[in-house]
Amino acid sequence: MGGILNRSQRRGLIGAALLSLLILMIVGSYALWGESYQARILYAAFVNVIVVIGLQIFMGNGNYATFSHAAFMGIAAYVAAICVTPAAMKAISLPDAPWGINAFELHPISAALTALAITGVIGWLTGLFMSRLTGVSITIVSIAILVIVHSIFLHRTDIFKGNQAFFGIPRVFGLGHITFLVILAIIAARLFRESRFGLNLRAVADDEIGAMAMGVDVRRTRLIAWVVSTFFFAAAGIAYAFYLGTISARPFYFNYVFLTVAMLILGGLRSVTGAVIGTLMISLGLEIVRVMETGPTVLGVKFPQMLGLSGLLLGVVIVVVMAFKPDGFMGNREAEDILLRNRRKEDMT
Amino acid sequence: MLEISGLRVNYGPIEAVHGIDLTVGQGGCVALLGPNGAGKSSTLAAVAGTAQYSGRITLDGQDLAEMIVEDRFRAGISLAPEGRRIFSNLSVLENLSMGAATRKDRDAVERETEEWLSRFPILGERRHQSAGTLSGGEQQMLTIARSLLGNPKILLLDEPSLGLAPKIIAQIFDLIEDLRRSGMTILLVEQNVGAAIKVSDHIYVLANGVITREGDGADFGDGSDLMNELTGVHG
Amino acid sequence: MDYAAQQLLNALSFGAEYALIALGLAIVFSIMGLVNFAHGEVIAFGGYSLAVIGTVMTASPIFLMAFVLIACVAISVALERVAFRTVRNANITTGLLTAFGVSIILQNLYLLLGSPRPIPAQQFIFLAKTFNVGPIQVSSLQVYETLATVLAIIGLGLFLKRSNLGIAMRAASRDFLMVRLCGIRANRVVATAFAISGLLAGLACIFIMARRGSVTPHMGFDPVLTAFIACVLGGFGSLPGAVLGGFILGFLEVGVLVLLPQSAGGLAQAAVFLVVALLLFWRPDGILTPTTEKGDKV
Repeated sequence: MGGILNRSQRRGLIGAALLSLLILMIVGSYALWGESYQARILYAAFVNVIVVIGLQIFMGNGNYATFSHAAFMGIAAYVAAICVTPAAMKAISLPDAPWGINAFELHPISAALTALAITGVIGWLTGLFMSRLTGVSITIVSIAILVIVHSIFLHRTDIFKGNQAFFGIPRVFGLGHITFLVILAIIAARLFRESRFGLNLRAVADDEIGAMAMGVDVRRTRLIAWVVSTFFFAAAGIAYAFYLGTISARPFYFNYVFLTVAMLILGGLRSVTGAVIGTLMISLGLEIVRVMETGPTVLGVKFPQMLGLSGLLLGVVIVVVMAFKPDGFMGNREAEDILLRNRRKEDMT
Repeated sequence: MLEISGLRVNYGPIEAVHGIDLTVGQGGCVALLGPNGAGKSSTLAAVAGTAQYSGRITLDGQDLAEMIVEDRFRAGISLAPEGRRIFSNLSVLENLSMGAATRKDRDAVERETEEWLSRFPILGERRHQSAGTLSGGEQQMLTIARSLLGNPKILLLDEPSLGLAPKIIAQIFDLIEDLRRSGMTILLVEQNVGAAIKVSDHIYVLANGVITREGDGADFGDGSDLMNELTGVHG
Repeated sequence: MDYAAQQLLNALSFGAEYALIALGLAIVFSIMGLVNFAHGEVIAFGGYSLAVIGTVMTASPIFLMAFVLIACVAISVALERVAFRTVRNANITTGLLTAFGVSIILQNLYLLLGSPRPIPAQQFIFLAKTFNVGPIQVSSLQVYETLATVLAIIGLGLFLKRSNLGIAMRAASRDFLMVRLCGIRANRVVATAFAISGLLAGLACIFIMARRGSVTPHMGFDPVLTAFIACVLGGFGSLPGAVLGGFILGFLEVGVLVLLPQSAGGLAQAAVFLVVALLLFWRPDGILTPTTEKGDKV
C-alpha cells in the first residue's frame, strides 16, 4: 500500500477509519436499541452523507458554490430504476416509453453500473463546461444544469413520470449496503482530498493565479474533481432508488440542494470530516424539528402546526455559520487532526 | 501635529513594524526612508486607518485609535497611496470631485479644482476623459491633487516617484517643495533617497520595522552614504 | 407581421422585467461582490406588504405603489444591516451562501406566517388592460413595464453620473478602499446600493403583482433566477451588461416559446438555460465583462 499512497493519504486513511468507526457505532446502536421505523431515517441520512461528501470533493476543495448535485443524483436514480425494474412492471407504469426502455430488465449490479456510467458521461460532458468557468459563472451554470434536468424529468412523463411516482423498483438495498457505501465514500473522498489533484484544487481555491504559476493545470484539476464528485452523487441516487422502491422528480430539486448545502456548510466545506459531521448533525436536528412542524402535544401543551420551520432553521444555520464561523464546525481539520498532535504543515499555512 | 509612539503593525502572525516613535510638526515635511519591506507603507497605513495596529497615534493631541478610515480623512489625514489608485472608470474631473466629496464649500472646491487643472494642463485638457487613459506621471499628479482637494491637515505620500521617468520625478518633487512652502504638513515615504532628503526638514530611516537613524536634512548630506547603506541593508 | 410585432412587444416587456431585477443584483454585486440570492424574497416581501396593507388600510393604487416601493427599499436595506454586513469583506462564496441562507429564511418565514397557497392581492390588476393598435393586440401592462424600465435606467444613469454619491458608487466598484480614503462612508455607499436594489425590486414587484394578482412564498425565485442568468450573461457587476443580459433573456424566452412546438412548452426554461450555458462557453465571463478591472485593482 505504502508505495501507491503518499504520506498524507496514509494519514488520511486513519481519519477515514475514525469516521467509519463513527458510522459503524451509529449503525450498531440502531441495531441494539433502534426502532424499526428509524431504519428509514438512518438510511436517508447515509444517502445524504454520500451526497455531501461528493459536494465536498468539488465545492469544498475548490471553494465554489455549485447546486447541480440533485440533478446528477436524479439522473442516476432514474437510470438505475429504469434498468432494474422488471419489464412486466414497466409495461404498466411506462406504457408509452420510447426506445424499448420498458421491454428489458437488468440485474441490479448491471443496472447500477449502467447508471454510474451514464451519470459519469454526463458529468464529464458538463465538466468540460465547468472546468472553463470561474466564480459566479460556475454557480450559474450548475443552476442551469439543475433546472434543465428537472424540466426534462417533468416534461418526459413517458419516461420519468414527472411528479408522479415511478414505482415497482425492486428494493435490493438495505442498511448494510448503504453503510458499506458510506464507508467506501469516506475512504475515497479522503484519498482524493490528500491526492495530488485534491491538493492542487485546494491550491487553486486559495490562489488561482499562483497555482497556475506553479504549473497546476487548473482546468484539468477542476474537470477531474467534478467528474469524481458526480460519481458520488450517482452512487447516492442509485442507493436511494434501490431502497425506496419508488422515486419522483420532486426530491431532486432546489429543496434538496438547500438541505445538502446547509449540511456541508455547517460541518465545514474544507474537510471530509466536516461533511460527515454536518450531515449527521442536521439530519438529527431535522428529525426533532419535523416533529415540531406537525404540531405535537408536549407535556399536555398543544403546539400549532408550523410549516416551514425546518426550512427556516436550515437558513438560520447557513447564515449564522457563514457570519460567525465561515469555516464551519471542523474548519480545515480532519478527524485524525484532533487525535494526532503533529498536524500537517499545510494546515498551518 | 502628528505623533506616533510605540507603533506596531501586524498582518496576521507577521509584524511589519516593531514599535516606532515619530513626530511630524506643523508645516513640516518629514521623510520616512528605507529599503523595501522596512515597514514604511505599513506605518502610513496605520496612520490612515487601513491597517490594524497597536501603539498610539495622535493628530493635534487627539487619539485616532477609535476612528475608522473615513473619519480620519475627515479629521484631516489624507493618504495618496502607493500605486496611484486613481478611479480608472471615472473622468479626471470626477476623480477630483471624489477628493472633495466631504467638503461643503462648493465654490472654493470649484476654484481649487480649476487651479489644479491649470497647474497640470494635460489634466485640464483631458478633464472629461477617463482617468485610465492618463500616463503614469499624470495619474500621480491626479492622485496628489485628489488627496489635497479634501483640505487635509497632513498629507501622507506613499512612494510618489515609484516607477516614473526621471523628468516626471523632478516635477513631483517640485510639487512637494511648493506644497511645503505653502505650509502643508507632509509625511513622505520614498525610496528615492537623494530627492527626498532635499525636500524634507527631518528624516527617519526605517529598516526591518525599527527606526535606525534620524536627523535633519543636513545630517545626511546628499544622501549617497545613506543610499549605499540602504542598498547594503537590502542586499 | 402582426404576429411578429406582438411577439416583439412580449419580448420587450419580459426583457424589461428581467433587466429591472438584474440591475438590482448587479448594483449590489458591483459595489461589494455579493451575489444577492435573497433579491427574489425582497420582491415577495413587496407582494406580501401589498396584500396586507391593501386589505387593512387602503385600496388607493397610487398609495399602494408607493408603499410597495418603500417596503422593498426598507427590507433590502434591513437585510444588508442584519445579514450582509458581517460578510462584507468575505470571499464571494461565503457571501453567496449567506445570501442563499437569507433567501431560505425569508421564504420559510412567508410560509410560516403566511400560507403555502397563493394569497390574492389584485390591487394592481387594473394596469393590465388589452387594447388594439391596428391589428396588434397590446397589453397596457407591457407598455407600462417597458416605459418604467427605460425611465428607471435613465434615472439610475443620471444618478450615477451626476450626484456625488452616484460617482462614489461607480468609484467603489473599482476600488472601495480608495473611496473610503476620500472620506466617503462605506456604510452609506453600501446602504445606497441596497436601497437602489430594493427600489428596482419594488418596481418589478408592482408589475409582477399586476400580472399575477396573488402572492406566494416562492414568487420571486424564478424571475430572480432568470435575472441572475442575465447578469452572468452580460458580465457580472456590469450595469449595462445586466440590462443587455435582461433583454437578451427576454428575447430568448419569447423566441423559444415561438420556435418550440406547443407540446414542448414545458422545456422552454430548459432551452433558455441551455442557450445561456452555451453562450457562457463562448464567453466564460459574460458579454460585457469589465476585463480591465481585474488588472486595475492590484
